[in-house]
Amino acid sequence: MVNATVPSPMQVKSNAQAGILKFSSWGFVAFIVIYLLTPIIVTLLMSFSDASALRFPIREWSTKWYGDFFASPQWTDALLNSLMIAVGTTVISTTCGVVAAWAFEKYEFRFKPLLYLLVMLPLFMPGVVLGLGVAMAMGSADILGYQLYGSRLIVMLAHSLWAIPLVFMLMETTFRTVDHRIVEASYDLGGRPFQTFFEIVLPSVSTGIVSSALFAFVISLNEFVMALFLTTRDTQTLPVLMWLSLRSAGTPRLAVASVVLACTVIISLAIIMVWHSRQLRKAQA
Amino acid sequence: MNIAGPDAAATYEAARRRARLREKLAPWLLVSPALAITLFFFAVPIVYMARMSFNEKIDQRFYVPGFTFDHYSSLLTDSAFSNAIWTTAKLSFGVSIATTLIGYAFALLVWMKPRRWRFMFIALALCPMLISEISIIFGWWVFFPRNGLLSYVLTTMGLLSDKVGLLYTEYAAFVGLVYLILPFSFFILLSLFDGIDKKLLEASSDLGASPIVTFYEVLLPLTKGGIAASFAQSFIWAIGTYATPSALGPDTLWTIGYLIQEQMLSRHNWPKAAAFSMVLAAGVGVVMMMIRSVSAKRTPING
Repeated sequence: MVNATVPSPMQVKSNAQAGILKFSSWGFVAFIVIYLLTPIIVTLLMSFSDASALRFPIREWSTKWYGDFFASPQWTDALLNSLMIAVGTTVISTTCGVVAAWAFEKYEFRFKPLLYLLVMLPLFMPGVVLGLGVAMAMGSADILGYQLYGSRLIVMLAHSLWAIPLVFMLMETTFRTVDHRIVEASYDLGGRPFQTFFEIVLPSVSTGIVSSALFAFVISLNEFVMALFLTTRDTQTLPVLMWLSLRSAGTPRLAVASVVLACTVIISLAIIMVWHSRQLRKAQA
Repeated sequence: MNIAGPDAAATYEAARRRARLREKLAPWLLVSPALAITLFFFAVPIVYMARMSFNEKIDQRFYVPGFTFDHYSSLLTDSAFSNAIWTTAKLSFGVSIATTLIGYAFALLVWMKPRRWRFMFIALALCPMLISEISIIFGWWVFFPRNGLLSYVLTTMGLLSDKVGLLYTEYAAFVGLVYLILPFSFFILLSLFDGIDKKLLEASSDLGASPIVTFYEVLLPLTKGGIAASFAQSFIWAIGTYATPSALGPDTLWTIGYLIQEQMLSRHNWPKAAAFSMVLAAGVGVVMMMIRSVSAKRTPING
């Protein structure tokens, strides 16, 4: 029998273990926080360096490399290309992924498991394999005189190979939460399938759509291996340009480019989240 | 009113048939955009690449139509290429062990700590996912060299008397890759922990088990499937990622992905690049099959 006042040897041991665990858990927290923040902090510091070499300690601080970045057409064009491609990818993949997920939720049809695997498979393929495959197979393709290779469209479609499965996966789980009685009610009241989908189903899964669109946007904005194989000098994206200049010579301009890219991601996240929560509030009011 | 019986029945029948047809066609219509992109930009290129990998490479031309197994056999006979396979496998194996271990500890921690910490930890874990791989590379690229932050901090703290340069070492490549892949294994494991009832831990400790016994007897058996899934997922990401190891690692660190890029962009040897890509894709496929057979839990792969 365990006495309430005198702790058993087992409990003492257990308490000691708990103490050690608590201590090591704080150690681990410190490690993980430092590890995850290191490259971010290093880059932020470096972007404000005045020197033209990438070296620590930083003796003079300035924002001159930010001015340099935005004054250089090569870099701003790359940023613009990145944004256009990311927006295009978001539109393409969200549309395709949402309707495909709805088909999988609503209907029964043949080859469903096979189609599921086919749509999901590109997500697990390395970017280098996808980029190379598209570059080789579509390298000389032109549709009605439109040269596909090197265009922004081909990069959008290649990025969609990763973005569609993500949107599809997220939307499939989201559509499961839709109350089917409401959909049935809409049909009973004479709503056509098309109308029901746009007026009843989509508004009730708007959060899912917005978050999957964001995923698609961020993936496309950050991707550079496929884009490396598929872009020309005119359409090259910011990450591609960064990769190419990292190989030649590094200056703090690269740090600025990193910060700009990360800020674009964070700003778009913030804008869309604020906009979406406002829409939700409006819908409730 | 006189109702034309047979006529009404016929229209009704026609309407029903149309509705049934629509019911049958609708899903295909809805799936078609996604399917078209997947077919034209994934299936066709893979088939094209499979064919390309048997073509011959003569002189300066990208490829010459033909049928040869040379590019595949060179992976075994040419030591530079067979070493690359070995390097990729070794690196990916080590990285997957590291991400699974750190990811497991991190997920366990987030699950155990009070809820108010949760948001902060998740935001932290999202960092490597929201930042481009190239920015991550750059961050470590200015952290590791002789004039980097690491060397500066260590020398000013007096821990080292001389500057130290770790850039272009396998160590740097390893740290960079683990950083890139950690969030994937973390989120897989966290979702698993979230499905476990915390009362199990209380019950176990009420019954007198020490934290370590509880871990081995309760938590580990419940999370075994997730550990396997996290390991396999990390492995897939690690073998496919070539930019990080090639930018941070030594020149001798040749991964398959690096060879593909080199054969394609520098040597213009299309058949060889295609053959290596097929091998890499096959490697990913094998690991995916393994996940399917190992984990009974619903994952993106075995829906």
